[in-house]
Amino acid sequence: MAVKVAFLQNSDCWGCHQSLLNLHLGLLNVLPALEIVYWPAVVDFKYDSLKAREDGEILVGFVEGSLRTKHDIAQTKLLRQKCALIVAFGSCSCYGNVHGLANQWSKDNLIKRKFSEVESIADGSGGEPTINTPGFADKIVPVDEIIKVDAYMSGCPPKPEAIASAIVFLLGQKPFPMNDLAFCNDCSIKDNCLLDKAKLCFGPITSIGCSLKCTSNNKPCVGCFGPAKTVDSRAEKLNNMVNNLDILSSGDKKNLYEFLPLFLNVPLMAGFDLAGDILKQVKKRGTLETHLANLPPTTEEIAGKIMGYLRDHRDFTEISNVCDTCPRIIGSKSTMTRVKRDYEGLPNMEDCFIEQGYLCMGPITKAGCGGMCIKVNSPCTGCYGQTEWGVNQAERFADTVLKGFNVSLSKDELLNQVKDHLGTFEKFTLAANRNFKGGE
Amino acid sequence: MGKEIVVDPVTRLEGHNVLKVKLGDDGTVQDVQFSITTTRFFEKFLEGRYCEHIPRITPRICGICPIPHHLTPTKAVEDAWGVQIPPAAYKLRQLLQNAKQYSSHALHFYALAAPDFLLGPMADPALRNVVHVINKMPDVGAMALKMMDFGQKLCQAIGGKSVHPIVAIPGGMKKPLDEDVRDLFLKQIEDQVEWTKKTVDIGLKVVEDYWDVVANVGVVPTYYVGMTKNGIHDIYDGDIRIVSPNGEKFDYPPQKYLDALGEHIPEHSYATHMYYKPAGYPEGIYRANTLAMINCADKMATPLADEALQAMRAKVGNISHHTFAYHWARLIELVESIEVIATLLQDDDVVNPDCKTLDVQPREGNGVGITEAPRGLLLYNIWSDAEGICKKANLLVATNHNIAGIEKTLMHVAKQVFEDKALDGLKLPDPWIK
Repeated sequence: MAVKVAFLQNSDCWGCHQSLLNLHLGLLNVLPALEIVYWPAVVDFKYDSLKAREDGEILVGFVEGSLRTKHDIAQTKLLRQKCALIVAFGSCSCYGNVHGLANQWSKDNLIKRKFSEVESIADGSGGEPTINTPGFADKIVPVDEIIKVDAYMSGCPPKPEAIASAIVFLLGQKPFPMNDLAFCNDCSIKDNCLLDKAKLCFGPITSIGCSLKCTSNNKPCVGCFGPAKTVDSRAEKLNNMVNNLDILSSGDKKNLYEFLPLFLNVPLMAGFDLAGDILKQVKKRGTLETHLANLPPTTEEIAGKIMGYLRDHRDFTEISNVCDTCPRIIGSKSTMTRVKRDYEGLPNMEDCFIEQGYLCMGPITKAGCGGMCIKVNSPCTGCYGQTEWGVNQAERFADTVLKGFNVSLSKDELLNQVKDHLGTFEKFTLAANRNFKGGE
Repeated sequence: MGKEIVVDPVTRLEGHNVLKVKLGDDGTVQDVQFSITTTRFFEKFLEGRYCEHIPRITPRICGICPIPHHLTPTKAVEDAWGVQIPPAAYKLRQLLQNAKQYSSHALHFYALAAPDFLLGPMADPALRNVVHVINKMPDVGAMALKMMDFGQKLCQAIGGKSVHPIVAIPGGMKKPLDEDVRDLFLKQIEDQVEWTKKTVDIGLKVVEDYWDVVANVGVVPTYYVGMTKNGIHDIYDGDIRIVSPNGEKFDYPPQKYLDALGEHIPEHSYATHMYYKPAGYPEGIYRANTLAMINCADKMATPLADEALQAMRAKVGNISHHTFAYHWARLIELVESIEVIATLLQDDDVVNPDCKTLDVQPREGNGVGITEAPRGLLLYNIWSDAEGICKKANLLVATNHNIAGIEKTLMHVAKQVFEDKALDGLKLPDPWIK
C-alpha cells in the first residue's frame, strides 16, 4: 500500500531532489511505495491542492531549501499542518546553507545590490519588485526555528543512498531479500574462511544473492543483503567472536558501524538523525523499538550483542566527523607551518590536508558523506554541518587541529592567517548560529 | 468583470514561478505576468569570500546544472588573476560540462517535457508525470534512467560529486580522471550512443505527431543569446553571440558583455528581464536555452549532431522562432554531447595528472567567465582585490536570460488561446499512454 508523501521546495537549488533522482534505476524500487501528493518539480499538483488536504493526512513531508521569502515560511507552516512527520531535507533546511551568509547584511542592503546596483541594469529601472512577489524574510533561519521537525537529513546534498534508506525506513518498508540460504553457501573463499583468520565476516547470517564483491576481494561480508532465513553453521563462530568485540582491529570496528545500518536497513546514523534511528534508540533507551521480523535466533543474538556493544562503547559516539571516514594519514610526514590557500600548488593524495597546510573542515564536520570531496583532492568545506553547536567554530577548529594534527602555528597565528572566517568556518551554517548578529 | 487565471506554482520546471493571465470583459488578454518568486542574493554574499571558494559556493544556485556554476566562476577568477590552465584541465572541464549536458538534457526531455506529449496535454494532472511514464513505458523509462545515470556518474567521477562538484580550482583541476574509471565509461559508450539515437527517434515522432502545434503555437520572433567558438556550437568556451529576429549575428567577447546584455528590473518578478542592449527594452528581449543555441550556431561541433541540425533547418528554416522546437534543439545538443564525451574519453589528456598550474597568484582585477549551461548562457563577473578576496560579483544566470522571453512567448500564446481560439482547431494525436 503506497503512502502519501510531499516534497516542498523553498528557496533552493533542487539539488536534494536531483540527488534523490540520482538513484535512477534504484528509483524503481522506491517509487511504487510512494503516493506523491505534492512535488512541483516533478508532478502537476498545485498549491491549492495542498491547502485542500486534511491536517495530518500526509505521512511524511520533506522540506528542502532555505527560508528566504515570506512564502517559504508560509508554505513550510502549511506543510507541517498537513503532515504527520516532517523531515528537514538537506543542509538548507537544517542550517540555512550558504544562503545564510547573506545574514551578514541587512535585507535592504541585499535588495539594493541585486535590484538597483548591479552593473548590467541598463535602462534606469530598479528597486524591489513588489507585484505578485512574496517579500523577503529579514534573515534566514533554519526550518526548526519556525516549525517542529521530526528528523534531519543534512548534506549538500544528502547522498542518494541515505535518502533512499531514510524513505524506506520512515515508510516502514523492509525489502530484505530474506533468502533461505546464507551468503556462505555462495562464498568464493569458503575454504579460506575469513572467520578462521579472526576477521569479522557477517556471511553466516546474511542472505545470498549479491555479486560476492567483498569476499572476492578478500574483504569480509558487511551484511548489505540483509538477514537470511536460515543461518550457516559458521554462525556459531561469529557468535563467539562478537562476545569479545574489544579485541577487534579498528578496521573491523568500522565494519560494525557499516554492518548494522546495512543489515537491518536503517539509515546510517551520521547521515540521518532521527529519534527512530535504530542506533539512537539503542543508545537512548537501551532497547530496540523497531520490530525485527522473524530473524533466526542466532541472528538476533548476534545483532543484539553488537547493538549492546555499540551502546556502551565510546567509539559509537566518536565516529562522528569526516576525519573518521577519511583515508588520509593524520600524523603524516607533513606539518602545517602557514595556512595555504586552496589555489596554491597541489596537495598530495596521501597526507592530511591540514598537515599539508590547507584548511579542511573535516575535524569539525559531521560524517555521512564518505569523504567525496577528499577523493578528488579537495578539502572538506563542511556541508554536512557541525559536530558541535553554540560555540565559536573558528576557535573550535583551531583548538582541535592544534591538539590532534601536525601544526606548528599558535592559535592566534592560525586564525589571523584566515581572512574570511565566516566563509571558511560557517559557510553552510551561519543561519544556525544564534550568537551571530550581522545585518549591517 | 474580467477574469484572472492563476497557475501557482508552475510545475515540472526548475525554480519557483507563478503565472497570471488577466483577461478583460471581452475576453481579450490584458496582461500576462510570469513571476519568479524567490532569489537568494548570491550577488551580495559572495563579497568578502576568497575568490577560489566562490566555485564551491555557487553550484548551489542550481542543483540540476551545478557543473557550469562550478566551472564558470573558476574561469572568471582565472580571467581576473590572469591564470592559464594546462590543456589537460581544459579537456577535462569540457568532458565534465558535456557529461552534465547529457544527463540534464535527458532529464529535461524525459522527466520534464515528455509527460505532456506522451500522455497528451489534456491528461489527468495527477498522472501527467515521469513516474507514470516509467510505470506505463518501463522500457523507455529504464533507458532514460540509464542515460541520466551515465551522465551523472561521469560528473561524479570527474567532479567528485555530481551535485555540487568540487574538483575545479583557479589554475586547473585538482585531479584527473582515474584510468580504470575512464575505461568503465568507455565501455558504455556504444549503448549510450544507441539510446541517444532511440531518444532522437522518439523526439522526431513527437514532433511529427504534434506538427500542427509545433508549427502554429508560440511561434514568436525574438532575439536569441548563446555562445559559439568561432561560430561553432560550444558549451565550455567561446564568445557571446546574439541573433536578431531576422537572423543577423553579433559576437561579443565575454569581457564586453555589458555592451550586449542589459538587465531590466520588472515590478512583478525577482528574476530580472534581460535584453539586447543596442535594441533597447522591451524590443531587444531575447530568448536563451537550446533553440537559441541552435539559432546561434553556424554548425554543430560533431558530425551526427550537425547532420541532425541540417535536418531540422530543412524543416523549420535557418532561424527558428518555434517555441516547441526547443525540444528538438535539445535533442541535437544531446547528440553532440555524447559525441564529445566519446571523443574526449579516448583522449589521454583526461587521465593526465598534469592538470593544474602550480604557481597561481592572485592579483587585483575584474574577470569574466562564460559557459553555456543546459538552460542557457551563464556569465560570472568577479572583482578580486590584490589578495584574491572578492570585492564584488555580478551573475547573469542561465534561466534568468530566458525569463523575459518566456513571458513574451506566454503573452503571444495567451492571445492565441483566449482571443484567436487557436487551440480549438488544432490537430492533436492520440496519446501514446492512455
